[in-house]
Amino acid sequence: MSVYKRGYRRYTGPLTGRWARFLVLPRYAWRRLYQQRLVLLLTILAFVWPLLCAGFIYLTNHVELLQGLDKEFLQFIQVDGRFFAIFMYVQAGFAVLLAALAGPGLIAPDLANNALPLYFSRPLTRWTYALARLTVLMGMLSIVTWIPGLILFGLQVGLAGYTWFRLNWTLGAGMVVGFLIWLLLLSLVAMASSAYVKWRVVAAAVSLAFFFILSGIAAMIDEVLRVTWGHIIDPAWVVNQVWRALLGVTPVEGPGAGVSALALVAMILLLIFVIERKLRPVEIVS
Amino acid sequence: MSDTPVVELENLKVKLGRREILHGITCRLGVSGTGKAIGLLGPNGAGKSTLILTLLGFLRPSAGRARILGLDCAHSLGDARSRIGYMPENDSFIGDMTAVAFVRQMAELSGLPPEAALEKAHQVLFHVGLGEARYRELRTYSLGMKQMAKLAQAIVHGPELVVLDEPTNGLDPAARRRMLKLIAEMKNEQGMNVLVCSHLLRDIEQVCDEAVIMKDGAIVHHCNLEEERRSNRSFVELEVTGDDGHLRAALPEIGAEGVPEGLGRWRIVLPPGVEVDAIWGLVNRQNLLVRKLTHRRDTLEEIFLKAMGHIARTPGESGVEAGQR
Repeated sequence: MSVYKRGYRRYTGPLTGRWARFLVLPRYAWRRLYQQRLVLLLTILAFVWPLLCAGFIYLTNHVELLQGLDKEFLQFIQVDGRFFAIFMYVQAGFAVLLAALAGPGLIAPDLANNALPLYFSRPLTRWTYALARLTVLMGMLSIVTWIPGLILFGLQVGLAGYTWFRLNWTLGAGMVVGFLIWLLLLSLVAMASSAYVKWRVVAAAVSLAFFFILSGIAAMIDEVLRVTWGHIIDPAWVVNQVWRALLGVTPVEGPGAGVSALALVAMILLLIFVIERKLRPVEIVS
Repeated sequence: MSDTPVVELENLKVKLGRREILHGITCRLGVSGTGKAIGLLGPNGAGKSTLILTLLGFLRPSAGRARILGLDCAHSLGDARSRIGYMPENDSFIGDMTAVAFVRQMAELSGLPPEAALEKAHQVLFHVGLGEARYRELRTYSLGMKQMAKLAQAIVHGPELVVLDEPTNGLDPAARRRMLKLIAEMKNEQGMNVLVCSHLLRDIEQVCDEAVIMKDGAIVHHCNLEEERRSNRSFVELEVTGDDGHLRAALPEIGAEGVPEGLGRWRIVLPPGVEVDAIWGLVNRQNLLVRKLTHRRDTLEEIFLKAMGHIARTPGESGVEAGQR
């Protein structure tokens, strides 16, 4: 029978569990995200570099194909911490662009359209909502960051064998952890900017500006005061320093990995505080 | 059937910033599962919306306790919310979603499985009159259509209690009638309890069985509209010239009661079955000259004006003062 002939009757059937309800928001959000052509295009483009890296791994493990090349060059092209660091820099750039493009579309429209009371009048807390939105971004960015990274690591393990894995397993773990820290920071920046600026385009600009402005201020502090600790307010710099420590690459001059990690924790807590302040079903004006 | 109240407040105090908005409210409203509507009336700033937001858990009480369907709003909020549908006063939607996707998402968030949510979304959109427009994006909807979409998302999961904040706001007369008809159907046919917050007396009077009047963050009156309707009393505002000193004692002759308001003005309550002609006869017997006589049956307006202190107390009303119930 057609729906309109059946008429409305109260639903009395079984209800889904807590996790199924939690996944509703990510499911709808992912569907909407990949309906944006630019997001789809950027995601596809982000796979070019991992494919090139896969080719590189294949070549380094097939020395017979590289016969005739310089010995120094052969020593240079190694799958080591430096290789994964370069892979991570490129993918991190794509992640920044994707987060700026897709992130503000997750929360800004809900705030602009006053949709939060509708969500929070259901069995969904503010934290669950924020976690669901974070899951969307982290999931989307994972596709272009640590997942291809882990595949590359797996490829290298497959080609180089167990001995290589035993000696270098920390590279895989470091890469995943390093990417997850970066994705968490990116997602929180995108969420915080869209929570403050309800206009999606401006929120995207703000989330990009967050990195550039802080980087500029850090460089200014270092130049004016002739110090190196100014870098601790530069999110990209501190993440790079942590990555280097995780991958066993020589750190750059400035505050160490420990201080950088602390600076990152402070930034993440500050962003969570900002989101907590803004994600409320009703705004109270004292 | 259990007699769990729909809303139970115990010395509920709510502060916004440093200002106390609700001043220790205590009351029991409605009975769960009876399919009755409770009206929340009051002028702007009376605390109606604050009370609703507190019941939904959006605001934390500074003291006291609020229970909804027997569940504590502070400790069992998740359970309470899964049994509630809420239609906010202001525009609330996701602009770039079609109505059917929006309502389906809200149903799934309330715990309906995806297939059931889709089916119910279609059903409820036809029910509220948006069947033909259900595949349109919500931002293209008119104000009236948005109100209906908000109602659809509030009832799609079949809640036990539907909280409606100013449901007829911005609606033209035809849409208003439709909205009130839908609210009446919700309680009469679906057995849902409804809490309607409005400043429109007619809306409350038309659909509600119980009314609560708020003023300055307190409940100033709580009455059973069903009883008021059953009593079918009518009110007369009378203005006479002459010596009306014996009128009060004479009114019981026709079964009426009244109070003088000075300068020959009277407010009189007529019992069921007594027509206004009886007043004319009585006034004539008292040798009084009628300057003005208005007769109406708008009981809620009378109750509301008294609660607000705009008119003097008229004897005979069945309402119960807050806190005395």
